[in-house]
Amino acid sequence: MLMEAQKYVWEGAIPLQIHLHESEVTTFPPPPPALILAPRIGYLPLLIGLIKPYFSSALPPGVDTVWFDYKGLPLRWYIPTGVLFDLLCGEPERPWNLTVHFRGYPANILIPCEGEDAVKWSFINSLKEAAYIINGNCKNVMNMSQSDQVELWRSVMNGNLEAYQRVSSKLKLGTVEDEYAIKMNLSSVKSQQGTGETEATGQVKTGRIPIRLYVCSLSEDFDDLEDVPKIDIWDKISFINRPVEIHKEEGKYFTLHDAIKAILPEFFSEKTLMESPSQGGEDKMNFPSEDVSGRKAEEEENVCEVLETSCTSKAEIRLIRIQGIEPKLEIPFSWVVNNLINPDHFLHICVYVKVPNLNTT
Amino acid sequence: MATELPSSARKVVVHFRATGGAPILKQAKFKISGTDKFAKVIDFLCRHLSRETLFVYVNSAFSPNPDELVIDLYNNFGFDGKLVVNYACSMAWG
Repeated sequence: MLMEAQKYVWEGAIPLQIHLHESEVTTFPPPPPALILAPRIGYLPLLIGLIKPYFSSALPPGVDTVWFDYKGLPLRWYIPTGVLFDLLCGEPERPWNLTVHFRGYPANILIPCEGEDAVKWSFINSLKEAAYIINGNCKNVMNMSQSDQVELWRSVMNGNLEAYQRVSSKLKLGTVEDEYAIKMNLSSVKSQQGTGETEATGQVKTGRIPIRLYVCSLSEDFDDLEDVPKIDIWDKISFINRPVEIHKEEGKYFTLHDAIKAILPEFFSEKTLMESPSQGGEDKMNFPSEDVSGRKAEEEENVCEVLETSCTSKAEIRLIRIQGIEPKLEIPFSWVVNNLINPDHFLHICVYVKVPNLNTT
Repeated sequence: MATELPSSARKVVVHFRATGGAPILKQAKFKISGTDKFAKVIDFLCRHLSRETLFVYVNSAFSPNPDELVIDLYNNFGFDGKLVVNYACSMAWG
């Protein structure tokens, strides 16, 4: 099957070794760490039910507000566990050693989490946001029946891909046709594309893929992933939400490379400089970038100049990781989207960028 | 479509709209730096309305997560040169 990789994503799990923070240990000897398999597509607070009984007898009196840290960094609970792992473990650490806290919630760093309901709320909102990017509105998600919504959420919590597909297909959020499939069915399919899709859903597709990009900027040099310095504050990570539109060119795949370049043109030095003026203003509107490349055509000369200086600063992409995989950049982006997308319909991409010392953002 | 796209250094006009009986702000439109995160918008509203928690939405549709950059939200969901942010004291759109 074409979507086999999606099954692997759904079955993917990270072995966690969870330690109770020493300040909360009231027993001697301290409780041994808890070993848990955490689904990649899941969220850390969903594990609390399993962890709590394990440590409850060792805890000091008080009210529980559970949170996790990795090497002192409080973990954002609304980021899928697999993404946290890909982002924060340069060299994958198995088991992944996390610390759990039941007291002292760092409210200045983390937004409050009232258990499963908060996670579900966050997931549904992410799904709505994705739907908005794909369809220009999120009526399909908002009009979902209560039972469908519950079933959808359960399917994510339980890692039940079939149940998920049954419900999520009603949302009509499929955006990309697999380019392999198109090629195999030869040219006859070509004429059906687009028109068929529009009629079936009654909506005009924007053709945009929702993407959450986590860019980790590191100023220290590293040759080996083992030497990646630990990420101790969230400020080292930029959260970028820019959709990508798949551009089809005759006889050419739109690759992962093309997609990343569209989102982060500043890291593609000379090539980008040569190509960007010919792309025209219209295309750029869809993914305006953080720097100057989103400006209008008449400012192009200026654009090149500034890009050039950013090139000489030699910021470069060192690692791209999606669902634990470091995919080759030349694979078709449609395959990446169809197989590695998260249940919230966002493609979460972790990127390590080596930046020169002067401008860490 | 969009007229002029701001780079992230540019400011974004945020148009606040109260919903579900939430108190109305005297001034509804504010400029905020594109490099700010949505968390700052939420903080701003909570401070101005002296409330601990608020439900904050974009385009009466969804709540972005607090890490999202204002410029990304504007580019993805803004129209007529502004980003419409709705706020409510209780959940307005599940």
